[in-house]
Amino acid sequence: MCASCGYPAAPGHWTDAGATDPGDRIRARFRRAQVLNAVLRPYGLTAHDGGLIPGLQIATLSGSQTIVDDLDGVWVAAERLAGGAVDPLDARFVRTGSEAP
Amino acid sequence: MTRDDGRMRMTVLGGYLGSGKTTWLRHQLHHGQFKDALVIVNEVAETPVDAAILGDVPNLVVLAGGCVCCEAQRELVHLLRDVCDARSGFDSSDERLQRIVLETSGLADPRPIVEAVRNDSVLVHHIVVSEIIVAVDALHALEQLRSERLGRAQMEVADRLVVTKIDAAQPGVTRLLATLRRLNPGAVISGSARGSVVSLPACDDADPEPMPELSDEAAKSPIFATKLLLDTSIDWTAFSVWLSALLHARGDDVLRVKGVARTPAGRMLLQSVRKTVQSPEILPEQDERMDNVMVVIGRGYCAEDLRRSLQYFATAERT
Repeated sequence: MCASCGYPAAPGHWTDAGATDPGDRIRARFRRAQVLNAVLRPYGLTAHDGGLIPGLQIATLSGSQTIVDDLDGVWVAAERLAGGAVDPLDARFVRTGSEAP
Repeated sequence: MTRDDGRMRMTVLGGYLGSGKTTWLRHQLHHGQFKDALVIVNEVAETPVDAAILGDVPNLVVLAGGCVCCEAQRELVHLLRDVCDARSGFDSSDERLQRIVLETSGLADPRPIVEAVRNDSVLVHHIVVSEIIVAVDALHALEQLRSERLGRAQMEVADRLVVTKIDAAQPGVTRLLATLRRLNPGAVISGSARGSVVSLPACDDADPEPMPELSDEAAKSPIFATKLLLDTSIDWTAFSVWLSALLHARGDDVLRVKGVARTPAGRMLLQSVRKTVQSPEILPEQDERMDNVMVVIGRGYCAEDLRRSLQYFATAERT
């Protein structure tokens, strides 16, 4: 563990397992932030991963933000900041094209 | 009953969804247990993932797409009759198949399987169920015993209980052991971590968990399997974001997820039990038919919603 930033807090998260070389890892980080932004936006949250420092930044539109280690941390933080769990089976995620607003 | 009555010995390996049956069996096979046995693996889902985990077992038959204790029982009986027919063609007892290992699905009650063998007029002369081994998940078994009728039935009927994932569950495992001793006093209990034998802690001082009567409410809605195809529109990263969110929000309903995904790092075996995801394992290159298919077993949601939601996660930003 890094003595300055305390990362990683725990041995690798399972969602990191699909990428082993540095190129794949950075691509996976950017793609993760992209997907998270699409999912969290309706909850008034944004996700940012600049690729330079470990962890993901989750922020509200009013500016409060937190840094989390992994995706488990994202969902815990999102639940706290948005005031409820982000449920992938929520109606907003399961509407078909014709039902979409 | 002695071995020389000429009948094959059948070991039934059961246990709840994600209890570690296949991991345990893989380890036993690797170490030469059940040598020369015919291994039959049953899975509720149409796509057999366990066969990929077991790898190159020479004598492996997969019964997928139904549980052999109920809907696929006829298929099992037919398969066993065929095995008996083939075996009868050999004169010498040296050449004859002596043992069958049946790994049931996580939703199977071993009792109807034993009855099916005993009540079949052909099988009863060829096969004797010699042992029922039930894998018990040290992390989740107490919850299953409290709330799931099936989980309790599986543990009650075992001759041998293998408590798995001991390494992850210490020290709370003593209460589980005390509960198992009360629930099934006749069973031999052993410990296991990733398939290896692990000694069990003493549990003489531990209090067993009280077992409430299970009402019909506890049976809840039926558990079903959903197959998710990870086609080219769904990349591994998007899938992992989606699954982590699903397990966070619905981990009590999504009982089990397993499958093999193609990732930049190679073929990866992914397994979860409720909210716990096992460290993914990179598999050797093998038959590709099972790749990019995930099986989700659970209740309390609609299968189509899973597919739509996954599609949303995978494509939202690109549109």
